[in-house]
Amino acid sequence: MRLACDTGGTFTDLIVEYDDGAVKMFKAATVPSDPAQGVIDAAAVAAADEGASLRDFLGRCELLVHGTTHAINAIITGRTAKTALLTTAGHPDILTLREGGRSEPFNFRIAYPAPYIPRALTFEVKERVNSAGAIVEPLDEAALARTIHELSDSGAEAVAVCLLWSIANSAHELRIGEALRAQLPHVPFTLSHQVNPTLREYRRASSAAIDASLKPLMSRYLGGLVNRLTENGFGGRALVLTSQGGMMDADELAKQPIHAINSGPSMAPIAGRYYAGLNSSLPVAIVADTGGTTYDVSVVRRGRIPKTRETWIGNPYRGHMTGFPSIDIKSVGAGGGSIASVDAGGVLHVGPKSAGSVPGPVCYSAGGKEPTLTDASLVLGHLDPDYFLGGRMKLDIDAAQSVINEKIAKPLGLSLMEAASSIVEVATENMVQAIEEITINQGIDPSEAALIGGGGAAGFNSVFIARRLQSPLLIMPETGAALSCAGALMSDLRDEYRSMFFVRSSEWKAEAVNAVLGELRQRCFEFLERAGKTRESGHIEFAVEARYQGQVWEIEIPVHVNLFATQEDLDALVEDFHVHHREVFAVRDDHSAVEFVCWTAAVSAGLRKKPLGRLQIAARKLGEKSVRQAYFRDAGLVETPVVSMANLKPGVVASGPAVVETPFTTIVIDPGASYWLEESGSLLIKP
Amino acid sequence: MKLSSGARLDGAKLSIVANRFGGVCRKMGNTLLRTGRSGVLNRAKDFSCCILTAESDLLTAEESLPIHVLSGPDLMGRCMKQYHPVLKRGDVFLHNSPYHGNSHPADHTLLMPVIDDDGTHRFTVVAKAHQADIGNSVPTTYHGTARDVYEEGALIFPAVKVAEDYVVKDDIVRMCRMRIRVPDQWHGDFLAMLGAAFIGERELLSMGRELGWYHLEAFSRQWFDYSRKRMIEAIAKLPKGRATAKSTHDAIPGTPPDGITVTSKVSVVPSAGKIHVDLTDNPDQMACGLNVSEACTRTSAMIAIFNSIDPTVPKNAGSFRCIDIEIKNRGVVGRPEHPISCSASTTNLADRVQNATQLALAEISEEIGMGEIGCFCPPSTAVVSGIDPRDGKPYVNQLFLGHTAGAGAATQDAWLTMLHAGNGGMCFIDSVELDEVYTPILVKTRRLIADSEGAGTFRGAPGILVEYGPIGARMQAIFIADGNINNPKGARGGEAAACSQQHVLRTDGLSHALPQYCDTWLEAGETLISVASGGGGYGNPAGRDPKRVLEDVREKLVSRQRARDVYRVSITRDFQLDEAETTALRAEPSSWN
Repeated sequence: MRLACDTGGTFTDLIVEYDDGAVKMFKAATVPSDPAQGVIDAAAVAAADEGASLRDFLGRCELLVHGTTHAINAIITGRTAKTALLTTAGHPDILTLREGGRSEPFNFRIAYPAPYIPRALTFEVKERVNSAGAIVEPLDEAALARTIHELSDSGAEAVAVCLLWSIANSAHELRIGEALRAQLPHVPFTLSHQVNPTLREYRRASSAAIDASLKPLMSRYLGGLVNRLTENGFGGRALVLTSQGGMMDADELAKQPIHAINSGPSMAPIAGRYYAGLNSSLPVAIVADTGGTTYDVSVVRRGRIPKTRETWIGNPYRGHMTGFPSIDIKSVGAGGGSIASVDAGGVLHVGPKSAGSVPGPVCYSAGGKEPTLTDASLVLGHLDPDYFLGGRMKLDIDAAQSVINEKIAKPLGLSLMEAASSIVEVATENMVQAIEEITINQGIDPSEAALIGGGGAAGFNSVFIARRLQSPLLIMPETGAALSCAGALMSDLRDEYRSMFFVRSSEWKAEAVNAVLGELRQRCFEFLERAGKTRESGHIEFAVEARYQGQVWEIEIPVHVNLFATQEDLDALVEDFHVHHREVFAVRDDHSAVEFVCWTAAVSAGLRKKPLGRLQIAARKLGEKSVRQAYFRDAGLVETPVVSMANLKPGVVASGPAVVETPFTTIVIDPGASYWLEESGSLLIKP
Repeated sequence: MKLSSGARLDGAKLSIVANRFGGVCRKMGNTLLRTGRSGVLNRAKDFSCCILTAESDLLTAEESLPIHVLSGPDLMGRCMKQYHPVLKRGDVFLHNSPYHGNSHPADHTLLMPVIDDDGTHRFTVVAKAHQADIGNSVPTTYHGTARDVYEEGALIFPAVKVAEDYVVKDDIVRMCRMRIRVPDQWHGDFLAMLGAAFIGERELLSMGRELGWYHLEAFSRQWFDYSRKRMIEAIAKLPKGRATAKSTHDAIPGTPPDGITVTSKVSVVPSAGKIHVDLTDNPDQMACGLNVSEACTRTSAMIAIFNSIDPTVPKNAGSFRCIDIEIKNRGVVGRPEHPISCSASTTNLADRVQNATQLALAEISEEIGMGEIGCFCPPSTAVVSGIDPRDGKPYVNQLFLGHTAGAGAATQDAWLTMLHAGNGGMCFIDSVELDEVYTPILVKTRRLIADSEGAGTFRGAPGILVEYGPIGARMQAIFIADGNINNPKGARGGEAAACSQQHVLRTDGLSHALPQYCDTWLEAGETLISVASGGGGYGNPAGRDPKRVLEDVREKLVSRQRARDVYRVSITRDFQLDEAETTALRAEPSSWN
C-alpha cells in the first residue's frame, strides 16, 4: 500500500493506493502549528474508512510520499534560522541590491524589500577569484578565523557561503566550509557552488541563503514526521517531493532543503503529463491548477516540463528569487476566493486580492464580506449550495446574491446574472493571461495544446478558459481536485546535478565536455546507489543550457549522447539548439556560434510498475429531477442537467449545458461543448 | 469572448480588453529581453514596448521604462504618418530622431502599423531599445559635450522605412553595419526588436479579427474616458496649490559655469481635475549634449505627477488629458531644434526636470512629491569600449554596475535601485560575474555607503561605491557625472544626499579626481572609483519613526552618531532604542530647525 500526502494551506490531501490497485482520496484539516499532525490525521481518516486502526493501517504502508509547504511557509512567515552570509570582500550587498528591476514603476508606496540575510549578518572574506578561475587574491586564513569567531558571536544558527566565481574555482568556498566545520561543528552551512552552480552571484547567494536558513527547521520537521509515523507503526520508506518534480528520501532532502520550496505544486505538471499521455495525442499540454487563492500554470511539451531559475517566493521584485532551477510554474492571484470589485471609474476587477479560505467567499458564511469567484459561480447556478465538497459545506446563496447585487451589479448597471457572469469572465481573462505568458515564453501555441484542469475550483470556468485559448481539448482528471497529490504517486526518485563548463561551438572541446558528462554521470550513479537502485533501473538524461553568442539568457536543450565522439554529434546538438531557439523565439541565427554554459544530468528511477488505478468515488443520490437553472452568457438562464461523475458511462458523448459533480469538485460544461468519460476516469471535453 | 453589437462596452469587458492589450505589450517585452544581444538590452533591460491607436495616442505601455513612453511614441507615430501617408501591412519604420518625437538618438525605435484585412490602419506597435552603440563620434551613447548633432555623430533616422511586406531593407542595415561599432551586436538587437514588433502586430491582428476592429476602437475611446475619469478623481483628492521649484545640473563644457538650472512651475487645480506644469522659464538650448528633447521634457514632468497620485490610474492618452505642460521652442528643456544635440536627453537634465517638478509638488502638499532622485550617470554606468584581450575582438557597451538614487517619498522610504529618475527602477543591475565574462574588467568593490542617504521622515537611498577597471588591456570609459556640486536635495525638510565623486586609481597607487564629463583611457590594473549619490529625503528627519532609524543602524546603513545628530534618535551600544533619551533629544528646539 502506498500513500501520497500533500499538505496545503487549508487541507491535507491524502491519496491511498491499495495493493489491489484501487485508489481513494481523503482530506483532513491542515494543522498550521503542527503540519505533521495533519498527515497523521489524514492517515487516521483513511484507516477509519476501512475500519482499521492507525497502527495497522500505517504498518501496511510500504511508501509515503509527502508534499509539504513547511519550507515556503517558514520563509513567508520569517521563521527560518538566523543565518549569516560569508561573501567576497568588497561585495557585501549582493542580497540587498539583488538584480534590480521593479514592477509598478509609479508606485512609491511600496517598501524596498529587505535582503534575505540582513547586512548586519553579512561578513566579508578577503579573497578573490576571477572569471577564468584564477586566484587574484589568496584567502586570508587568519582573517577568516577571526570572522568566523565574530559570526559565532552574532548568534547565527546557519551559514551561507557565496564567493564570486566559486563556480570557476571552488577552492576558497571549500576551504571556508572546512573552517566552519572545524570552528562551528554544530552550525549547518551551505556552499553556493554546491547547492546551485550557476553564473550570476545573486542567484547563487540567494539559493545558498535560502538553503542554509531552512536546514535546522527542515531537519527537525522531517525527522519529527518520520519519528511520529514510525511511532504509529509506519515502517516503510518516506519520500519528499521536490521543486524539480521528483522525490527524495526525507533524510537526503533535509541536507538540501531548498529542494522543498515548491514541494507540492511541482507535482501538478507531473500528474498533468501522466494524464496528457493517457488521454490525448496532442504534443503539448497546459496544466492549470486552481486553488482558492492562486492559479498555477505549467506546460508539458513532448513529455518534457520546462524549468526556470526565476522562481520568486512572493511577488516578483518584492519577494526573493530562489535562483534555483525548478519546474516553471507561473502563479497568479486568481482562484475561487479572488475578490471582485468595481473601481471609481466603473471598471470591474477580480483579484489578486483573495478572501482565501478564511474568511473565504461570502457564501461560506464565515465572515467574508466581499464577493468572490465562488460566490459568482454559486449565483449562476453552476454550484449546488447543498452539495459543495460533497455536501460537507452548505453555501448561503442568498448572501452571495445580495453581495453581488450590491457591490457589482448596481455599480455596473447590470442584472444580477450578468454581473455574476462578468466576474467569471474577468477572472477567466486573468487566468488566460497567465497561461499566455508562460506559453509565449516557451513558444507554445495554446490552440494546439490540451488544457488539463486541476484543483478544487478548476471546474468553474475551465471550459470557458479552453474556449478563450481555442484549445481543442480539455481534460479533467478524476484526481483533479488533488492533482499535486496524485502526481506524487506517479513521480520518480529524482535528482539533478549540474556543472558549469563554458564552450563555444566554434571552439569545441570534445574531451573536456566528455569529462564533464562523465563526472555528472558518476554523481547520478552515486545517487542511485544511495537510493538503493541499480544503475540499470535508473534513467539519466543529459541537457545543456545554451544560447547564441552574445545572448545572456539560455534555453535548455536535451543532449542525446553520453559522449561526443564525432563532428556529427556536435552538429546534431547545434541543430537542436537552432530548432529550439526558433520554437521559443521565432528566429534562428545560423551564422552565430552557439555557446554552451551549464551541463545537467537528471537521474531518475521509477518506483511503480503499473499505471495508477481508478479512483473510488461515491455517486450522489440525485432526485428524479436532476436539473437546475444555470446561467450562461450567450444562452441566458437554461435548464441544466446535473450529472454525477460516478454515474457516467465511459465513451458516451453528451452535450452541454451540464454540471458534472463529484464529492470533491464541480465541472461546468457550457452550452455547445460536448463531453464524455474516458476509461481512465478522466472527463474529456471538446470546448 | 464575443463583443455584442453596439459600441458600448460594460465595465467587465473594458477590464478584459485592457488586460489583453497589456498582454500584447508583455509578450513583446519578453521577446526583446530573451533575444537581445547587447548587455544594455539583455542584462539591463533598457527597452520598452507600447501600443498606439491609429491616431497615435498612447493606449498602453505596460512594464515599460517611464521615460521611454509617456510622451514620445505618440509624437513618433504622428511623424510616421506624416512622412508615410500610405501605410501598408508589413511596413516597419526605424525612428530615433529627437527632433521628430524620439527621446534620444540611442533609443532606436521600431514602429509597426497594424493594418486590418481591408487595408485600414488600426494601431501601431512600438518597440524601443537603448542601443549599446549608435555610431557616435566617440564610443558612448551619451555624448555630453557635443556642440551639435554633427559632433555627436549619431546616425539619425526620422521614421525611415526599414521593412516592407515583413522583409527588411538591407540598404539600411548595410549603412548601420558600416557606422555602428560591433555591428553584429547591433544587428542582433535589431532582430530582437523586429521580432518583438512582429509578435505585437500578429497578436493585435488576431485580436481585431476575433473581437472586431470597430469594438477595439470603441474600447480605446472608452478606455481613454475611463482613464481620464480616474485621473480627475485622483487629482480631486490633492490640495489646490501652486509652487515653483528648481533643480540644477552641474556644469560641464558647453554649459554656463554654474551649470543648468531647471525651473518647474506647477499648479494643481483639483476642482478642474487639472495639473499644469510650466517649463517655459528655462534657458535656451546649449551647445552640449544635455538638451532635453520634447518627448523627454514632457515625459519627465508627467512622471513626477504620476509618481504622486494613485498608482492604479492608467497611464495613457486619456489620463494625460488632465495634464497641461507648457514648453518653449529652442529651450534647453522644451523643444530643442536641429542640429543642437540631445545626446543625453533621457537622463541628466531630464532627471532635473522631474526632480524640480517633484519638489514643487512636495511644496504644495505633504502628501505628494518626492525628494530629488540621484544624479546620472556615474562611472559605474559608463559606456566602456576597447579590444577584449581574451579573443582580440572589439567591444562596446554600457555598464549598469549599480546606481541606487531612490528618493524619499511622502509615505515611504526610497526604492533603493532606481538607477535614475526617469527609469523608475525598471532596469536590472548587472551581475558582477556577467560583466566580468562579457567585458574584460574586474569589479573590486560594489557596496552601499553608510551615512550617505538623504535623511528624512522617509529617507532617500544611500549612495553606492563601485570600483572597477580593465584587465589584460586598456579600456576607454565615457560618462557624464552629475551631482558633484548640486547633490540631490530633500523635500519638505528632508535633507540632501551626499555628493557624487569620481576618481581614477592609477597603477602608481595615486588617486586622481576625474572631470564630470570624462572620456578617459584606463590601463590594465587601473581602476575607476565611482561614488554615486543616493537620493534626497522627505520630511524632517527628526520626525522619522525611531524604529526605522534603529533598523538602519542595525543594518549599518546609518551610524549611531548620525542617528543621534540627524534623526534625533538615541541608540545604545548594543543596538537598542533608548526611548527616554530619544524623547529628550526630539524635544530640543534644534531638532525642528
